[in-house]
Amino acid sequence: MSSNVEREWFYYLKGRHILLYQLLSGSSSERITQSGVIRTREKELMYPNEDIADGLRIEYTALNEPFVSESLETTTATASGTDISFALSGTRITTDNTNNFWDTTSGFVAGDKIRVQGSASNDADYTIDSFSGGGNSNMVVSGSTLTDENTGERVTVTQIPKEATSPDETSHINLNKMLSLAVVDYLKAMVYEQAGQMDLKEYYMKEFYGKLGDNESNKRKISMSFPAGVYAVR
Amino acid sequence: MTVLEAMERVGLKETTLTIAWIKDAIHHIQSNSKDKLKVTKQDIIKAVDSDDNKYLLPADMIAVDSISVKDTSDSKYKRIRRLNTQPYYLLEDTAP
Repeated sequence: MSSNVEREWFYYLKGRHILLYQLLSGSSSERITQSGVIRTREKELMYPNEDIADGLRIEYTALNEPFVSESLETTTATASGTDISFALSGTRITTDNTNNFWDTTSGFVAGDKIRVQGSASNDADYTIDSFSGGGNSNMVVSGSTLTDENTGERVTVTQIPKEATSPDETSHINLNKMLSLAVVDYLKAMVYEQAGQMDLKEYYMKEFYGKLGDNESNKRKISMSFPAGVYAVR
Repeated sequence: MTVLEAMERVGLKETTLTIAWIKDAIHHIQSNSKDKLKVTKQDIIKAVDSDDNKYLLPADMIAVDSISVKDTSDSKYKRIRRLNTQPYYLLEDTAP
């Protein structure tokens, strides 16, 4: 059994590989023999000595869904409640609220991609095929298999961006407005590079990276105050 | 912002080239600021020979954000630390 992994497991990046190491004298290894002699040297490493299903988790950036069919600014439909149930038969998500809860109140339309969270066994991404029933209380979905589940859990259904797999002029860039403006600067830089105007290319690349920085600092608004010095002009 | 709107702002007329450049721009963004993260999981195997601690980085990876290992004592993924240098005594190790 692996334990204290944050202290006893290490990785080393080499080319296209991650090399995993485990502390030999760690808590999952035998440290003292039956005769009472310590078998391992301190801080000696070894290769992983156990099977762990889905044991290695890598979080990374990729060119992931670069284009979507709707702009991020309007991908905002959301619904939440404890009166939402799931039925495998008919592949539908149902609300007890029959007053056009899904379409009119929450803003979902057929074709939207949605993410379900908070359910007991139906947390996944789906695509809305249609609405049915009185007051459109049923949302018929596809994409993942539903499990029968009664109301009770606080379930949240959120619209998520739907990838445009064959992007064209009408596709949206899967970035917020600030980063989309940065992309425009990048395109200008490429145009000037092709024209051989390297000074303008450099200018727009600087603008591009400036907007990346602005986008990051927008997430971390920090106000700083400094005490006035004794001889400061007030 | 649509691809067409970006093209009009710049004065471009070639859609395919614009889409390729937009992908390049997103590549730069993902390389520098981690706008959107992806997660992949692999089985860890008990090492029996010299290359059994080698795991492939995702083929579509631009930048690593974190690497974690599942702690089976509480079924939680915990970040592990990176070694600056490869342990020299394990090179070509036939009995790990």
